[in-house]
Amino acid sequence: VPKTDNQSDLEGPHRNAGPWLCSICSQQNDTSCMSCEVCGVLRDLSLYFNNTNEPEGGAKRRNKHSGVSVLARSLFTPSSPKSKAIVFSDGFRGNKNATGHMQASLGTLHKTFMTHKQRHNIVPFKFDIPSPDDMVSIGLKSSRHLRKADTSVPCVDIPGKMVMGDDDLVAEKDTSTDPSSSVKLDELGGNSSSVAANTRNETLILDNELQHLSLERKPKNSKAKIKKPVPVSQYKPEPWMLQGEDQEMPRQLNLAIVGHVDSGKSTLCGRLLHALGRISKKQMHKNEKEAKEKGKGSFAYAWAMDESADERARGITMNVGVAYFDTKNYQVVMLDSPGHKDFVPNMISGVTQADAAVLVVDASLGSFESGMGVNGVGQTKEHSQLIRSFGVENLIVAVNKMDSVEYSAERFNYVKSQLGIFLRSCGYKESAITWVPLSAMENENLVTAASDTRLSSWFHGTCLLEAIDSSAAPHRDVSKPLRLPICDVISSHVLGQVAVCGKVVCGAIRSDSKVLVMPSGELATVKIIERDSSRLSSARAGDNIAIGLQGIDPIHVMSGGVLCHPDYPVSVASSLELKILVLDITVPILPGLQFELHAHHAKVSASLVRIVSLLDQKTGKASARKPRMLTARQAAVVEVRLEREVCVEEFGTLKALGRAFLRSQGSTVAVGVVTRVVQRELELQ
Amino acid sequence: MKLVHRNLARNGPGSAKLLPEEEDDLWHAYNLIAVGDSLQAVTVRKVLRDSASGGRDAERVKLKLEIVVESVDYDKEGNVLRVRGKNITENDHVKIGQFHTLELELKRPFVLRKEYWDWLALDTIQQACDPTASADLAVILMQEGLAHLFLIGRSITATRSRVETSIPRKHGPAIAGYESALKKFFEHVLQALLKHIDFEVVQCVVIASPGFTKDQFRDYMHLEAARRDLRVIIENKSRIILAHAPSGYKHSLKEVLDTPGVMSLIKDTKAAQEVQALKEFFTMLTNDSARACYGPKHVEVAHERLAIQTLLMTDTLFRNTDIASRRKYVNLVESVKKYGGTVHIFSSMHVSGDQLAQLTGIAAILRFPLPDLEDIEM
Repeated sequence: VPKTDNQSDLEGPHRNAGPWLCSICSQQNDTSCMSCEVCGVLRDLSLYFNNTNEPEGGAKRRNKHSGVSVLARSLFTPSSPKSKAIVFSDGFRGNKNATGHMQASLGTLHKTFMTHKQRHNIVPFKFDIPSPDDMVSIGLKSSRHLRKADTSVPCVDIPGKMVMGDDDLVAEKDTSTDPSSSVKLDELGGNSSSVAANTRNETLILDNELQHLSLERKPKNSKAKIKKPVPVSQYKPEPWMLQGEDQEMPRQLNLAIVGHVDSGKSTLCGRLLHALGRISKKQMHKNEKEAKEKGKGSFAYAWAMDESADERARGITMNVGVAYFDTKNYQVVMLDSPGHKDFVPNMISGVTQADAAVLVVDASLGSFESGMGVNGVGQTKEHSQLIRSFGVENLIVAVNKMDSVEYSAERFNYVKSQLGIFLRSCGYKESAITWVPLSAMENENLVTAASDTRLSSWFHGTCLLEAIDSSAAPHRDVSKPLRLPICDVISSHVLGQVAVCGKVVCGAIRSDSKVLVMPSGELATVKIIERDSSRLSSARAGDNIAIGLQGIDPIHVMSGGVLCHPDYPVSVASSLELKILVLDITVPILPGLQFELHAHHAKVSASLVRIVSLLDQKTGKASARKPRMLTARQAAVVEVRLEREVCVEEFGTLKALGRAFLRSQGSTVAVGVVTRVVQRELELQ
Repeated sequence: MKLVHRNLARNGPGSAKLLPEEEDDLWHAYNLIAVGDSLQAVTVRKVLRDSASGGRDAERVKLKLEIVVESVDYDKEGNVLRVRGKNITENDHVKIGQFHTLELELKRPFVLRKEYWDWLALDTIQQACDPTASADLAVILMQEGLAHLFLIGRSITATRSRVETSIPRKHGPAIAGYESALKKFFEHVLQALLKHIDFEVVQCVVIASPGFTKDQFRDYMHLEAARRDLRVIIENKSRIILAHAPSGYKHSLKEVLDTPGVMSLIKDTKAAQEVQALKEFFTMLTNDSARACYGPKHVEVAHERLAIQTLLMTDTLFRNTDIASRRKYVNLVESVKKYGGTVHIFSSMHVSGDQLAQLTGIAAILRFPLPDLEDIEM
C-alpha cells in the first residue's frame, strides 16, 4: 500500500457541480438525469466519486460517502427522503451534494442491493474485503483494521493483482450499480497493467479515504447540514469560470442613481431611457397622457421608472427601480433609488450592489440647501456617505434642474464648491468626482452635449452619458468561490416558482450547477439564468442577474440570503465585531443602542453590546480606555448582537459582504465593516 | 391586582393577600416575590399512596401549601408564574421540607409573607392595585414585509404576533407580483389584528410605519371591513389612529409612543413616563454629556456627591437573587429620594426598559456636571 496518501489529503476538495460526465462513455449529461443518456450508467457512480470529471486531471475519483452503501445510508436515514443529513458521511466535506433528488430512489436502492450480491458472485477475493455494510460497522473502529485487511489480500506479490484487489475494494465501496461497470472492473482485472497507473491513483485516494474514515467518523453529525467551511484559500476556480472572461459582451456596470427627494432621479432615469430608445413611443405617450390626467404632467418620465400605483399617486419613488441600457463600453444596470427619508432602508438594500453612482442634486434655490440638510439630515449627504461606504469610489454629480436657475454658471460653481467640500470629507478623491450640469426636463446635456447657449457658453465638459461611459471599470473577482447575495425573491412564468435576483459578488455561476442557499443551508439547482430578460448559460462576478432555482422550498429563500458554492458556505453569524465610523449624529451612541443593521441586502434588528475601543482618527490606534459613549465623527470597534443570523464575511475576506450600515431612529448613525464574525458553533458552546 | 388583606409594617415583617386580575398583575407578582419570602396558595399535587395490596395509587389532591421561595420563573408569552420552594405547612400529603412548585394564576389569591417589606415592594403593590394607570394600547408596527403586533399594558409590552413575508421589489412587468404580495401581507396583518385585539379591553389601536405602508394598510383594512362586514373594525374606526415610525422593528416602538398623537393618549401611564425619562437622559447626554452618567460605578460616585437629579433603573436590578445587592439598590433609591431626586423604575418588559437594561440597567441625570467621571474606569 503506497505511503504517499497524506499528500493527496492536501489537495483541496474540488468539485464539479455542473453537468456530469458519464464515467463509461464520457457523455455530458444533464444534472436532472439519474443515469447516462447513452449507456445508462447510473449517475450514482459519479456521485460517490464526486470528482469523476476533472477536465484534465484524468480519473481522480474521490469517494465522498466513505464507503457507505446506498442501502446502509438509507437505513440510517429512514425518517425522511429529503433528509440531507446522512449519518455516516464525513464531517468535513459532508454530503451537501447528495441532496433531494440525488438520494437513491427505492428502485435504485433495490438494484444496488441486488447487483451488490451479484457482484459478490463475480469478483474474487470477496472474503478479504469487507462488504459495504461491514464497513459501516467497522468504520466506527479505526481504519487500521481495514488497512490490515487491505494488505492481507493474498496476492500482494503480483502488482497487477494487487491493484485488482484494491480496485475491487473500490468497487465495493462505490457500490456501483450498473452491470457494465462491473464488466469494466473485470476488464480492469484482466489487463490491469495497462491501467495500473490509473487505478493506483484511485487506490491512493481510496486509501486516503480510509484514513478519513477513522478521522472523521465521529458521531458528530448533528450539524451535518452546514459543513465546516473549507478554507477559501483552497478554492480553485473551474476553467469554465475563467474562460471568455475578457471577450464576452460589454461588461456590466451597476449604476446607482441617488440623491435627495424630488431632485429628479426618476425623471433623469426616464429621460435617459427615452433618449436611448429604451422606452417605446407608445409607452411614453401612455405615460404622458396618464400623468396629465392626474395633473402631474412633469412626472411623465419618472413614471417610466415608478410603476406601482402608489408611487405614481404620490409622485415619489418608494422602491429601487431597475432599468437597463447600453453605452459604448458598458451594459448599464441602472438602479433608481428612492430619495425620501423613510425609504433609505430600501435604498440601502437595493443599491449596495452599485459599482458607480450618479448623485443627483437639485440646483434650484432652496432645494439644494434642503438636500444638504440645513434643517435636519438631508439625503444628499446621507446618500453620498452611504454610497461611499458601499465601496463606490467614482461619483458623477449631476446638477439637475439647471433650467430653473437659467443655467447660471455661478449657481453651478456654488453647488460644486459647497458639495465638493462635503464629498471630500466623505473620502471621495477630487479626481474621482465628475460634475455635470444638466436639465432632465429640457433634455440638456444628457446624452448629447448641451445645445442651449446659456449652458454651452460656459460648460465644455462631458455630458452625462459620456461621463457614465468613461467611469472606471469595476474590479471583478471571478477566482473566488461563488457568492450571490439575494436582492429579491420573485416568481414568474419564465423563471419558475422560486427565482432570485442579485449581483454575483464573486465567483461564477452557470445553469444546472448546484448552489447552497444560506442561511437556511438548503441546496438548490440553478435552472435558468437571465439578464435583462435574455437567457445566459453562465454569469460571472459583477453580473446582475435573475436566477430560477429548482429543488428548494420557497420558504428557504429570503431576500438578504446568499447563494454560495456548496463547498464554501458563507459564514453565518448573530454576533459581530464591527469597526464603525460614526456619522454626523446628535444623540451619542451608548451601549444598549438598538438599531437596524444593514449588510448587503439583509437587514436585521440589532443592539450594541459594548464599545470595545475607540480608534484614533489619524493613527487608527485603539485607545486604552473603554469610552463611555461615541459621538459624531468618531471611529470605534464595537460588538453587536443581532436578533437573527445573517450571512456576512469579514471585510478582509470579501469586501462586498463585509460592510454594515447602522440605522437608528430613521437615520443612518454609523457605517462600518465587519472585523470579526463570531461563529455560530462557538456560540452554542 | 386586588389587595384583599394586609397585615404588615413598613420596613418590617408582615403579610399581604393579593388577587391577580390581569396579565400585568403576574408581572408585578414576579417583581414582588423574592427568594426567601414565604408564599401560600392553593395548588394541586399528585400524591402517591401505598395501598393495602402493596400497589401504589396516584391521586391528585387539592391543597393549600405554604412554601419558602427558592426560585421564581415568569413566562412572558404564556403568562404563567411558577414559584418553587420547600413546604413549611404541616399536611397529610406533603412532608415539611418537601419541594413543591406553586403556579400562580389569574383570579386565584395568594398570601405573600416577607421578613422585610421595603419601600419598593409596597410601591409595587400600590402600582399594581391602581386601576387608572392602565394603558392597554395596541400598536401595529409595520414596514413593507414585516409587521409586529404589540399589546402595551401598564408594565408589560407583549409581542402578540409577528408577520414577515418577502415582498419583491418592482420589476417591470412583474409589478403585479409586488401588488399581490403586499395584499397577502396586509391580509396576514389584518388576521392578526382581528385575532389578538379585543376592543373591549384595548383603548385604541395605533398603526405605525415608515412611509406610506400605514396608509395603505388602513385603506386595505377599511375596504376589507366593508366588504366582509367586519363589525369590530367598522364600529371602532375612530379608535384606530396612524403614527409615524422609523422602522418596523420592535425597538422603534419607543419613537411611536413618543409621537405627539400617541403620547397624549397614554401620557399618564408608566410606559409613557419611561419613554419620556429615557428621552430626557439622552437629551442631556447630547447637550451636556458631563451631566449624564450610567453604570453602577459612575452612578454611585455621582450619588456620593449628591449630584443625582433623576435616577433611572430597571426592575431587573431588584430581582437580583442576592439579597444584599437588592438592599443596596433599595437604599440607593431611598436616599436619592431623600435628597430631592426623582426615581424612575423601568419595567424591563417595555422597550425603553429593555434598552436601559442593556445600558447596564442604571443611569442618572445629574444636577451639575461631573466631568471627571470620564476618567473613572467603568
